[in-house]
Amino acid sequence: MLRRLFTTYLKFIQIQILSQIQYPFSFLFDVFTNGISLLIFFLSLSLVLQRFDNVGGWRLGEIAFLWGTAEIAFGLMDMIFSGFDPDSFSVMVRQGTLDQMLLRPANITIQIFGSRFILRRLGRIAEGLIIFTISQVLSPIVWTLPRLLFYPVVIFSQILFFGGLFIAGSTITFWTIERIEAVNILTYGGNEMISYPMHIYPDWLIKFFTYLIPLIFINYYPALFFLGKPDPFGMPAFAPFLAPLAGLGVFLASLWFWKFGLRYYQGTGS
Amino acid sequence: MNAIIKVEHLSKTFEITQSQKGWSGALRGLIKPLKKKIAAVKEVSFELKPGELVGYLGPNGAGKSTTLKMLTGLLVPTSGVVQVNGLVPWRDRTKYVASIGAVFGQRTTLWWDLPVQESFDLIQYMYRIPDKRYRHNMDLFRDILGLDPFINTPVRSLSLGQRMRADLCAALLHDPKLLFLDEPTIGLDVVAKDKIRQFIKHVNEERKTTIILTTHDLQDVEKLCERVIIIDHGQLLFDGTLEALNNRFGGQRTLQVDFAETYPDVSIEGAGLISHEGLQATYQFDRDILSASDLISRLSNRYKISDLSVREPAIEDTIRRIYVDKLLEN
Repeated sequence: MLRRLFTTYLKFIQIQILSQIQYPFSFLFDVFTNGISLLIFFLSLSLVLQRFDNVGGWRLGEIAFLWGTAEIAFGLMDMIFSGFDPDSFSVMVRQGTLDQMLLRPANITIQIFGSRFILRRLGRIAEGLIIFTISQVLSPIVWTLPRLLFYPVVIFSQILFFGGLFIAGSTITFWTIERIEAVNILTYGGNEMISYPMHIYPDWLIKFFTYLIPLIFINYYPALFFLGKPDPFGMPAFAPFLAPLAGLGVFLASLWFWKFGLRYYQGTGS
Repeated sequence: MNAIIKVEHLSKTFEITQSQKGWSGALRGLIKPLKKKIAAVKEVSFELKPGELVGYLGPNGAGKSTTLKMLTGLLVPTSGVVQVNGLVPWRDRTKYVASIGAVFGQRTTLWWDLPVQESFDLIQYMYRIPDKRYRHNMDLFRDILGLDPFINTPVRSLSLGQRMRADLCAALLHDPKLLFLDEPTIGLDVVAKDKIRQFIKHVNEERKTTIILTTHDLQDVEKLCERVIIIDHGQLLFDGTLEALNNRFGGQRTLQVDFAETYPDVSIEGAGLISHEGLQATYQFDRDILSASDLISRLSNRYKISDLSVREPAIEDTIRRIYVDKLLEN
């Protein structure tokens, strides 16, 4: 059963990938521009940061670590969860593509995952890797074994976290027909937000992103652990390790909401 | 024989939020949205026997698509019973859709970027069609649908007619007992339409596939369907053979006469004169009141006739009359 789901997914993804690399030059150019535009943004920002020497007590290399990690994870998420990107999903519903998928005898969630796989997001991932490398040159991390093992977990948690938000944002379009801008604030805005040390934000915003939408646990707290920095908020010592919990929590809640939304969609239709 | 489709008191009501006029209306809409219930399908019941080919007709917005969506399991009805092949369409989706075929004329099931053949291969995988069966069907459909010239073309580069042929093939590769066709000839030219119709007829006759067809092209109906179901405003208006429909609502046949000489007045009792120009005149008459042969003998007793032809009421006129005049409404 699970194996079948996985092969179905791979078959679909293969189609997506093959059709995207049909024209290698334009594909590579896409990847390149996608990454380079983001990289230029970071580099211009770092020039400003150097003038201030630090932001909220964090040096440029440390911020680059936050930034690079968030970019790698978000780029991967944006690639894997392309099908659930609310912007394209709402179009899929309107054009009846979703109905066509529902007429096929395969798991609907897997079909949507397999319906899009935007490879040029590799550009963003590459940009993240470059910024990560810069961070290791400027402020090297001592990669102890626990840190080495925890790092992929953090990346994975962020993918689940933002992927969950993508799914929830797509589900909302069952009711609204059009995509909702507020969701983009959470996803793209959230990604930007976790690229800075979060204690620089106003108190109410930090509270919001700690208790309501636990963004703070997926990048900032893990970074405290990797960089060996003290916790300014006095959370329990396990706070840096809540990342997988936050990621999985948002992802599973979104999946549940998605199933609920699908039932609503079939109850009322378009 | 047992029914393959059983629909009982099927109803679907949508609740829509109405937009209200102006700023004050928009504000009111935010606080207390004005909800309105719309009954898209009301208490529709019918049965289909295996092997039937039924036209499901009605004007735009009559509830055809809503019915079809419920029959294919895309929508859950508000009330009523649907049983297809012993299954409830919306209950076990994957199992159900594996047992039916569906072609929605305006959309494609195929993969946009894939060559036609690869799309079919993927369908084989999804429907778990055994290799032997798949190859057998593939060979057959390639032949009768003439797929070979574009079998390796990506779907996005196909013409509408080619795409429709490919879609029909895709819908039948897994040998469904039941096929739903929603406007299969929409937007096609005369030749392409004819090909599609021949194929549908072939599938129905040779493979005994039960077919439900919705269409706005009444030629499809005339050439394919023995039985028609007509709905409007969500209600079933008529369910019976084409012939019964014609007998009941077809009304007037027409007789066209070419006279050998000009006559100033060619009116005749029992038939209405529609037009009279030069040597030619057209009459309308009711089959229940006067037979064609009686009318002709009456005419030939009085005038010299060089040629004539009787035309049965066109299905198109009949259906138009039903839609426009709401003949079937109580």
